[in-house]
Amino acid sequence: MDSIAFLTPLLDLQVLLTIAAGTLGGLVIGALPGLTATMGVALLIPLTFGMTPVMGLNMLIGIYIGGIYGGCVSSILLRTPGTPASAATVLDGYPMAQKGEAGKALGMATIASTVGGLIAAIVLATLAPQLAGIALEFGAPEYFALALFGLTIIASLSGDLLKGAISGLLGILISTVGADPISGVMRYTFGIQGFASGFSFTPALIGLFALSEVFTQMERIAAKEEPIKSVSGRWPSRGELKASRGALVRGSIIGTLIGIVPGTGSGTASWISYNETRRASKTPEKFGTGYAPGIAATESANNAVCASALIPLLALGIPGDVVTAVLMGGLLIQGLAPGPMLFQTNPDVVVGMFGGTFIATIFMFIFGMALIPLFSRILMIPRRLLAMSIVVFCFIGSFSINLNPVDLYTMVGFGVLGWGMQKFGFSQAALCIALILGPLLESNLRRGLLQNDDNVLAFISTPITLLFLALTVLSAGWPFLSRAIQRRRAAQNI
Amino acid sequence: MFKTTFIGAAVAAIAATGALAQDFPQRPVQVVVPYSAGGSTDLSMRVVADAFERIFDDSTMVVRNQPGGGGAIGSSAAVNARADGYTLGAGAQGPLVIKPLIGGNDYQLDDVEFIGLYARSLQVMVACADAPFSDYDSFIDYAGENAPQVGNSGAGGANQISAEAFAAAADISIESVPFNGSSEARTACIGGHIDAMVASPAEAKSASDAGQMTPLFVMEDERIDLFPDTPTAVEKGVDFTWSSWKGLIGPKGMDEATLTWLRDAVEQIATDEQFRETLTDMGEFVTFEDGEAFEARARRDMETSRTVLENLGMLGMNN
Repeated sequence: MDSIAFLTPLLDLQVLLTIAAGTLGGLVIGALPGLTATMGVALLIPLTFGMTPVMGLNMLIGIYIGGIYGGCVSSILLRTPGTPASAATVLDGYPMAQKGEAGKALGMATIASTVGGLIAAIVLATLAPQLAGIALEFGAPEYFALALFGLTIIASLSGDLLKGAISGLLGILISTVGADPISGVMRYTFGIQGFASGFSFTPALIGLFALSEVFTQMERIAAKEEPIKSVSGRWPSRGELKASRGALVRGSIIGTLIGIVPGTGSGTASWISYNETRRASKTPEKFGTGYAPGIAATESANNAVCASALIPLLALGIPGDVVTAVLMGGLLIQGLAPGPMLFQTNPDVVVGMFGGTFIATIFMFIFGMALIPLFSRILMIPRRLLAMSIVVFCFIGSFSINLNPVDLYTMVGFGVLGWGMQKFGFSQAALCIALILGPLLESNLRRGLLQNDDNVLAFISTPITLLFLALTVLSAGWPFLSRAIQRRRAAQNI
Repeated sequence: MFKTTFIGAAVAAIAATGALAQDFPQRPVQVVVPYSAGGSTDLSMRVVADAFERIFDDSTMVVRNQPGGGGAIGSSAAVNARADGYTLGAGAQGPLVIKPLIGGNDYQLDDVEFIGLYARSLQVMVACADAPFSDYDSFIDYAGENAPQVGNSGAGGANQISAEAFAAAADISIESVPFNGSSEARTACIGGHIDAMVASPAEAKSASDAGQMTPLFVMEDERIDLFPDTPTAVEKGVDFTWSSWKGLIGPKGMDEATLTWLRDAVEQIATDEQFRETLTDMGEFVTFEDGEAFEARARRDMETSRTVLENLGMLGMNN
């Protein structure tokens, strides 16, 4: 094997520095709400024009990995998902920071991201060609079944099943705004051109989680609450690490598998991982109250997606998520066509990218850990000032994504909606999941029907659809099942 | 003596460029790309910006991405911008000729000032994995009896129109399967979930080398270098060509001097050796068409699209 020889260019100081700069830059981009990893990679592609392929591509990979990780910072500290991938981290990260454990929460997220990233990178380097085949098995019926399974998270995530279902259905309804995915007819746009693609996802998320929180805090500011004084260290306690072990492994595996399936991505992976970890936990009631394993589950999953989304890209030439689609543009500019031939024509680039994924993950850990004290100090800022700066960020972030003024209305609208939902006990997380999965569900249902002459049987005809549909039934029925089991146990104890 | 002439010439040259620089551009020129960063329209425009700054010293070109509505939002921003030459747009086929026919946007083709075209994206119809046909003739035979499922990158997009327009010209029937973007369509194609799709030569080349796709025919007048063995529809007796454009557009009403300067700039960029090389590496077919030829091309494409959309019942659908 010459693989080792292909790794030597990576040890060049200039290459290492480029990867480090990419990772650090990605981290900052990810931490700023509204600047996503996708944008970071896309905007820096022109910088790679003059670089060697290994150097340029690894810089982009660094931005990607740093960016997905960086999203957790604002999720945890400000309840503002820095990138859509970190929306699920809000659930436990923000309460933990509010308890004065911001440093610990960030530390847990950093460790989880590193573990997830490394596990997926190992899978990438060893099993890429074998696993890539999974990506090809997914046709419309399979995507539909996966999305349906994802939606059952709503059932177990929201305490009140009825209110959770209402939030979820509202989310699906909202996701139908815009051009019909199959016929192209405009739906519910009321003739406003800016809504032609529906509500933009990131501005909606920023409003739903961040602006709504500002509203809630504004109500509390009158109560003269003390700002958080303690932001603690950066290392989670031994007990917390031990409790998170299962979550880390589960998150990494789920993230790796979801990452291989094209068109899904880190947002979906972190929600599914959160839900599965919670379900497997002995203390599911602790989730959502600032529980370290909750962070471990989401952050390990979304960073595992980074490396594993490269699997179908490198092995088949099909991108695993939006960022890798942009990364594909970067490969093409270097004159490299991703696909099965790449392993034969340019093994140096493929191996170099494998190596770069490891190196970038390690840089991410170092930078993340080093910057925690700096980041968590944000919370020392008096609440009034902080709340106002978050509002500014909400607007800048929402506008910078598409430069579309309509997105600002979207953000404010969802902010009011989120505030109302919080006040009346409706789950914002359920709405968020439905916004992610609704379009996937609808377009694949419609496409599947179109391709099979409206024959519904096509949706239960392959092993993968059957597997996901069975999981769906199990997952939807789980709350009832576990309640029944508990009641039985209680009855026996008496 | 020689020295003075030389200096004189240099001074004259500096004065000439100086005079130009005084008129236009005095500040950065902004180009609205109606798609997300990272796609082929965006990347090629960034190469243009690079060449622009290299060829015209002290000039800056900024690429601004304004995606949404299948390109209608960004195109509207460019077409409705102040006509001072400082806000231009990437001229894309879908939003400029197809959207106005479907409706729901706030501009028409007549509102567009065509500055120049610097490349065309050629199109190849490919057979996907496990398709029941592997060349032009077997494709046509199969399509005579069944409607092959042809994937495209979005409902009412240029991709769907070109496939349907070919079907009409060749008198076959196809079933269009819309996807959310070309990379999703490509995934389904390589996975064998659809029968055929329209691809760019660059992606078709790498995929056919790997045995993932088989090229059926090229939508050009003549065979192309990348696929010397793949026929064109024209040589098979079907009068059909289609390619999408990479060009620069702006709002109507720019003053004559500015417009002339910009048209000249596109020509200089499109004929620049380094620019041609970079863009060719990216899989684009670099060519130059001035504003008039570009506009004529757009109007031709619009007529083709009108017929297709009428048959599909999509004409004025969103008005």
